[in-house]
Amino acid sequence: MAGSHSDPLAHPEVQQGGALRYIAGFISTVLLMGAALIVTMRHDLAYQSFVELVGGLAFLALLSQAALFYGLDISRAQIWKSVSLILTVPLFIITVGLTVWMFQSLDQRTMVMPSSAAAATQPTLLQ
Amino acid sequence: MQLQAPGPWSLLFGRLTLDQIPYTNPILQVTFAVAALIGLAVIGVVLYYKKVGYLWREWLTTVDHKKIGVMYIIVGLVMLFRGFADGLLIRTQQVLANGPHAAGFLGAQHGFLPPFHFDQVYSAHGTIMILFAATPILTGFQNIVVPLQIGARDMAFPYMNAVSLWLTTAAAALVMISLFVGDFSQAGWVGLIPLTELPFSPGTGVDYWMWAIQISSVGTTLNAINMIVTIVDMRAPGMTWFRMPVFSWTTLSTNIIGLTAFPVLGVALALLGADRYLGTHFFTAGMGGNLMLYTNLFWIWGHPEVYFLILPTFGVLSEVIPTFSEKPIFGYVTMVAATFAIAGISWLVWLHHFFTMGSGPDINGFFSVATMLVGIPTGVKVFNWMFTLYRGRITYTVPMLWAMFGLFLLLIGGLTGMMLALPAINYTVHDSVFVIAHFHCMVLMVVCAGFAGVTYWFPKLFGFKLDESWGKAFFWTFAIGTITVFTAMFALGFEGETRRLEWTFNTAWKPMLVIEEVGMVLYVISLALFAMMLVVSIKNRNRERLGADPWGTSRTLEWLTPTPIPFYNFAVTPQVNTRDELAWRRKHELANAKPDAYEEIHMPSNSGLPVILGACAGIFGFAMIWRIWWLAALGLLGIVAIVIFRSFDKNAGYHLQPNEVEAMERNLAIGSITSEQPDRSHHSIHAEAH
Amino acid sequence: MAHEAAPTANTRLFRPGYAGHNQISARTLGFWLYMLSDALLFTALFASYAVLDTPMNAAGGPIASQIVNPIEGFWQTIAILGSVTAYSLSTVSMKNGKRGGTALGIIASIVLAVVFLAFGIHDLTALAAQGDGMDRSGYLSAYFVLILTHAIHMGIGILWMLVMLVQIPRYGFNEMVVARMLNLRMFWQFQATVWVCVYVYVYMIGA
Ligand code: HEM
Ligand SMILES: [Cu+2]
Repeated sequence: MAGSHSDPLAHPEVQQGGALRYIAGFISTVLLMGAALIVTMRHDLAYQSFVELVGGLAFLALLSQAALFYGLDISRAQIWKSVSLILTVPLFIITVGLTVWMFQSLDQRTMVMPSSAAAATQPTLLQ
Repeated sequence: MQLQAPGPWSLLFGRLTLDQIPYTNPILQVTFAVAALIGLAVIGVVLYYKKVGYLWREWLTTVDHKKIGVMYIIVGLVMLFRGFADGLLIRTQQVLANGPHAAGFLGAQHGFLPPFHFDQVYSAHGTIMILFAATPILTGFQNIVVPLQIGARDMAFPYMNAVSLWLTTAAAALVMISLFVGDFSQAGWVGLIPLTELPFSPGTGVDYWMWAIQISSVGTTLNAINMIVTIVDMRAPGMTWFRMPVFSWTTLSTNIIGLTAFPVLGVALALLGADRYLGTHFFTAGMGGNLMLYTNLFWIWGHPEVYFLILPTFGVLSEVIPTFSEKPIFGYVTMVAATFAIAGISWLVWLHHFFTMGSGPDINGFFSVATMLVGIPTGVKVFNWMFTLYRGRITYTVPMLWAMFGLFLLLIGGLTGMMLALPAINYTVHDSVFVIAHFHCMVLMVVCAGFAGVTYWFPKLFGFKLDESWGKAFFWTFAIGTITVFTAMFALGFEGETRRLEWTFNTAWKPMLVIEEVGMVLYVISLALFAMMLVVSIKNRNRERLGADPWGTSRTLEWLTPTPIPFYNFAVTPQVNTRDELAWRRKHELANAKPDAYEEIHMPSNSGLPVILGACAGIFGFAMIWRIWWLAALGLLGIVAIVIFRSFDKNAGYHLQPNEVEAMERNLAIGSITSEQPDRSHHSIHAEAH
Repeated sequence: MAHEAAPTANTRLFRPGYAGHNQISARTLGFWLYMLSDALLFTALFASYAVLDTPMNAAGGPIASQIVNPIEGFWQTIAILGSVTAYSLSTVSMKNGKRGGTALGIIASIVLAVVFLAFGIHDLTALAAQGDGMDRSGYLSAYFVLILTHAIHMGIGILWMLVMLVQIPRYGFNEMVVARMLNLRMFWQFQATVWVCVYVYVYMIGA
């Protein structure tokens, strides 16, 4: 209400930023994505393990962004951001996961894929 | 350039032509005449009493959470009335158009509504009731009550609060405009796919439905952000999490749902819009679209949405029942836990709306079990309320009656929901009026809690109570009407009546249809009694001046402020010492304690920008509906310009001086009403850097 | 409530001088919540993309592996991460009170964002030009709308940065400007997060 008339630049949200952290965030994400790119271009893994590996690298990249870019932690200044993120992440997983699950099953039960067409293309998550 | 849609199009007016205005339809002629009369009367009264300036200064530009809340409720009640009129038309059509020999009037083969018109009516009914009646009314309560309950002076973002209100209002206005310019959607409130696709709905009806929902859901999302930040950041000192009243808890949980579910609805509608405007193939029947994808996205939002509606009403019950049982709520912690359990589970069940899609036994089984799990926390709540009543000193005031009937409806709705949650049963009654009866028990529970809330908090806001005897008459006719309509409807569901029938072909349904119509008559009477209640109460408003706590047994902080509540809420921020702070202060005779000294209060200043922004959003929506591209661009530009302009606006409020506060508090104590802000035009406004 | 204490001489009923909430904290939390809701918007788009990413939904048109280029996507990844890092570094200049450094970081960030967008728009227009636009098939609809939604977010971010370039010299680092800079930082970092998901899911798993 009364509004704090203290220096806005002293706010923890400003103070938490650090050049080293951001540069580390940049490098780690680029390296992880580079690794994933190499895996992709080699084309020598089975689809399932390929998805798992690349997905794992992406997960690491997201974690590094959460820590290094957003600077999330459990300090007083950040706690509600962290809590709300943790409450929301399950929703991302539920939304995509259950949707993929139900349509995978639905497609299998209702869409007869011509076998030649299916063979000519590579798999996707729904198959 | 008209992008896809058939029919004439001009650069200046898009698809809008004079014959889009259905001035030949007798029903709409009457509606238009009535609407115009009411509109003119309101304008006349405002002009006659020279209230234009007052309206602008005190209401349209306000950023005060209480006034915004009141306006939300007014919008909601107006739309509730409109939705009720639609419901009346639906019921009357179905009873008139029964059997092959039913007569037809007004150009309809049976009954008085041809399918083209009937389909619009039921689509509008559902859309309005869920999104433009129930949602604004509940949002209104949250706006009014939550800042007071947690001991704050306003919401975290008062300006954005006004923006949310005006977006919702603009959207509601679009729905109303669709009555007189063009048509409304004929594809149900859920947007039955592929009926909503351009080849099957080439008119502008679906566009009205789509843009109205889209605009209002932006408002709802902003409001959710506002509510959550307010609750997290602005609780008074001492108001720890587990001292927070249950209504505030339910507001928090419901807005978490609002925040996370509405974007999904936005996507569902935006993709449909892409299909209709850009020619994509998300949900088309051919070209690689997937119909069920729409249904899936819609219900990912849709089911959490029904809990978005019901959770705040649980909160209202949790305020009303303890107040009139003169006992603290039973099992507070389990109540909070159950609230969040319900909110969490509500995200895991959406497929129960389309079990019949046939995605297989594993999946139907999973969603069936998840759906039934919701019964556990709901049961916890019902028992908690019952134990609160148990050995309480119960007074059956009007709010209490509404709460009791709400509990009854919750029980019936919940049990029939459990039946629907079993795929084996669901396959036989899905899309029958049994489903309609189920969810009407639930949404009428929302309405009951709404009226409980209106009667409960009304004296706090306006300083006088709503008339008790008219209120009871209203309650009883409404309750008996509800039971009459929906008992018959459950029966019709078992007799195999499917939903959305413009012609009820089976004559065996006649008796039940007639009973339903009798119930509708009761509803109409109850509406008249409601109006009487308002008139009588307003006429007698000066009979009894009410103090801070009109019911005498209230328990939470909102009743600590003077009545009517001054615009700054609390002259000095209260210190919270316990849960049910007011009950505790009353018990120890501290309820009337006054602060020793007053201090400077910082208040946000009013702004006309939100209402202009709302208007721009409405214009944008209207222009998109009619494909008047230049106007749409203008509306959008207006919105962007206002947002940027506001960010350059340095005037962020003013300070009330301690002596001003003291004077106002003194006036309030002797009963002169000063819920209005002082005219500050001749004061120096303390512009601040922020 | 058997455990509730009776008031004592030290019990306070009012809290004069209570400072209330901090503007910057409230604004950043509010904006963070908005971003979570935006994240659900992208989640719904990803779910749609997953459903429409089958040969059936390609309706005879191209499938993912025929239109995505992971190597080009890698350059885009570097551009957007560079942009985000430049912007983040500009808020480090802000922390040190340096207006010039802050503005420089923002400008660098805009340039890199434009590079990123140029890649994306070039791809989409090329596809559309060869008759594989968003109206070609369900799959392409999902692909275009996902990429375009991200691009529109980027565009809004650029507009926001331009506004900040005007406000920083005009107002200095006052409370509102600082809050906006912080929110924009979250917004911008979030675009990189979304891009990582798009890159991995569309460009790599699809390849
Ligand atoms: C115990 C809790 C509940 C259960 C188990 C339950 C279950 C169900 C099921 C299985 C359906 C799908 C019926 C069908 O279409 O075949 C349904 C429909 C519906 N329910 Fe519930 N429900 C519950 C609570 C609620 C609440 C609290 C509300 C609203 C406030 C609500 C509103 C609706 C609506 C609006 C529909 C129909 C939507 C439509 O198709 O137009 N339900 N419910
Ligand atoms: Cu449901």
